[in-house]
Amino acid sequence: MSDDVRQNQRPEEQPGEIEEEIPVMSAPPPPTPRKAAAMGNRNAPPKPPVFAEEEEELLVTTPPPPVQRARTSAPPPFWSDRQNDHAHDDDVPISGASASSLYENELELRNLAEQTNTNVDAMGKLAAGTLKLIADNMRQMTDQQIERVNEMLRGIDLKDYLDPAFWQGIGMILRYQVDEQMAFIKRRMSGQYVTDAYGMDREIIDLVRPSLMFLYRTWWRVSVEGVEHVPAEGRALLVGNHSGVLPWDGAMIATAVAEEHPAQNQRLVRSMHLHWFSTLPFVSPALAALGQVPGLPENAIRLLEQDELVSVFPEGLKGVGKLFKDRYKLARFGRGGFVQAAIRAQAPIVPVAVVGAEEIYPMFANAENLAKLLGMPYFPLTPFFPWLGPLGFIPLPTRWSITFCEPLRTDMYDPAEADDPLTVLGLSELVRTTIQATIDRRLEERSSIF
Amino acid sequence: MTRVLINGIDSHLGAQVAQRLSVFPEVSIIGLGRKTPPAPVGRADWLLAHLSGLQMVELLRAEAIDVVVQLAFVEHGASREEAVQQNVLGSMELLGACAKAGVQRVVLRSHTALYGANPLNPTYIAEYRPLAKINGPGWLRDVFEVEQFSAEFAARHPQLSLVPVRCAPLIGDSSPLITYLRQPNPSMLAGFDPCLQLLHLEDAAGGLAMAALSHAPGPFNLASSDTICLSQAIKLAGGKAKIVLEPVVSLAFAMGNRAILGHWPFELSFLRHSCIVDTCRAHGDLGWAPEHSAVDTLMALQADEPDLARRELAAEALRAFLERRNEGVHDE
Repeated sequence: MSDDVRQNQRPEEQPGEIEEEIPVMSAPPPPTPRKAAAMGNRNAPPKPPVFAEEEEELLVTTPPPPVQRARTSAPPPFWSDRQNDHAHDDDVPISGASASSLYENELELRNLAEQTNTNVDAMGKLAAGTLKLIADNMRQMTDQQIERVNEMLRGIDLKDYLDPAFWQGIGMILRYQVDEQMAFIKRRMSGQYVTDAYGMDREIIDLVRPSLMFLYRTWWRVSVEGVEHVPAEGRALLVGNHSGVLPWDGAMIATAVAEEHPAQNQRLVRSMHLHWFSTLPFVSPALAALGQVPGLPENAIRLLEQDELVSVFPEGLKGVGKLFKDRYKLARFGRGGFVQAAIRAQAPIVPVAVVGAEEIYPMFANAENLAKLLGMPYFPLTPFFPWLGPLGFIPLPTRWSITFCEPLRTDMYDPAEADDPLTVLGLSELVRTTIQATIDRRLEERSSIF
Repeated sequence: MTRVLINGIDSHLGAQVAQRLSVFPEVSIIGLGRKTPPAPVGRADWLLAHLSGLQMVELLRAEAIDVVVQLAFVEHGASREEAVQQNVLGSMELLGACAKAGVQRVVLRSHTALYGANPLNPTYIAEYRPLAKINGPGWLRDVFEVEQFSAEFAARHPQLSLVPVRCAPLIGDSSPLITYLRQPNPSMLAGFDPCLQLLHLEDAAGGLAMAALSHAPGPFNLASSDTICLSQAIKLAGGKAKIVLEPVVSLAFAMGNRAILGHWPFELSFLRHSCIVDTCRAHGDLGWAPEHSAVDTLMALQADEPDLARRELAAEALRAFLERRNEGVHDE
């Protein structure tokens, strides 16, 4: 949560930013001397300690440029929210201490990474992102579990991310945390919890949010444009291009809206998924718990009428099961059902262009016969799947961008016009060309897929 | 003056509907059943008999009945043959008699499970949705058959308005779902946890009474406004779910072993997918709103269980005693 600002900043803007943050984040231990000492003690530093010390100096002493001040203080609810968040952390003594020292480490690694060469830089950012994931997860753990994590942490030199032992230790902690989360879900199955009629479960959403944030910030380094076009309240239909074999794009659009929207109200996006997923054991309740809804027009209209944010991918299977050679060419937009739903519910349509998701699983062929045999809509063959087994599920860490375009109003249409094919197909084509044009523009701006 | 006949006053639901209708002074109520009503029936007068079709016409004509509420369904406890006789043939006979005797409106108790549990159904199913073909347990097939027959019958008799009232699984009386939930280890499918809607007996009675007195065309869905996961329902009812793998169930079904799911009262697909109905029409056209949530209803079920059984036993003993006493008095 706290690094979203940092990430969006250019390096020279950082000092001002950090000066703001330090008092909030590291409230229990006085940061500078301890950190400097730690740096000095290290045997195999990825960079000389002198450098690091200089940097600490830089962080604390450089007065922030006045322009920056104005910028950071511009949206006050944003900052005040954040401070409350961390203040709350400090209420719990153990978690507060250990989570915030992890955040410190994360910050440090990020700063180090800024100054090294590119390969190590990527590694450092990954390490920082992973530490943040662990810290975020810790905020939802019990004291005993936190104690356990702290014990594991004590064995690891948190600054030495070039040492395989660092990754081994981190891997162990993450596995422990995932195990605990699964155990939590299982325990809850036999306890009491509430869901809505679609099966959405707020607690599960909160539980997986840190992991989604890790994918969003660290793995895919998503950059967002135009998120203010999503209304802060009231209904809207987000229409995106579908890609990438598994529907990660829906999850990232939802994360972008929850985390980056200027209103900062953590708005939930209800994604529409293919109803075929509802027939799969375990997948079906998992998707439902995360707030996804079977993609039927009645469901879309109903949710929109309840003033929810709904996201749809009109390409459907044709999009998500697209071959690598067809990437970024939008498929047909169904029969315009999404436009009908938007007109009936008088909800604005926000076209969303996702770039980067096409390359996460480069699918060079679709084994159609095998898919038919297994009753699946498609069976992807990628360089890694199914040859590497479960490892083939790991998506490539491409760099993503998500662009929210200007909303298209539908309130000038009469709801009865939802039955007019000319209006519906015309509007559907307009949305499609808008998304295609935005994708093309973003593709031109992109220098590398990683 | 509206004259209502309740067929099936010998059930808790029938008695409750009679009570609800008794509130309106301009309504006169007659109950028809085979046993004495199990609960107070308000101002209703009742007839305990097994009438044939023609006798039914005679009764309807003599009493100038305007509205018939058909609740006489056996859900369990009877043999298959008896159940079909009463559920399907009984309803057909009743409809025929109503048409002949000039009854204006027939309210038919039906079930929301008729929509089927299908991923292609919208999450909230409205009344216009076509009914699914039921291959499952007998009592549900009967309800389906009655709805199908009554739709055809209504098309041929436009002067008779036929109003199916599709109720979510009832809680408050004995019902197939309660039998399932009362087991110590009800079965669930691995990897699925469908949401359920329930309906408290009192809410069902209220809805049926409103449907009987209104002039709005049906059908109507009645269900609690909240939903509850099956795993939660089992827990609230005091049991612990037994998880079974779907291939095992399919294999057992193929080999003719239907007992593997215990007393699950619906088709297998209902353990996979939710079947949740939209009750907007009952809210709008009837002004009906449920007073009990599904969660409260289930909690009450768990709390009341021994109490309820005890009270029922006592009531029965008291009735038998008073009858005996009365007979004794007359003899003397």
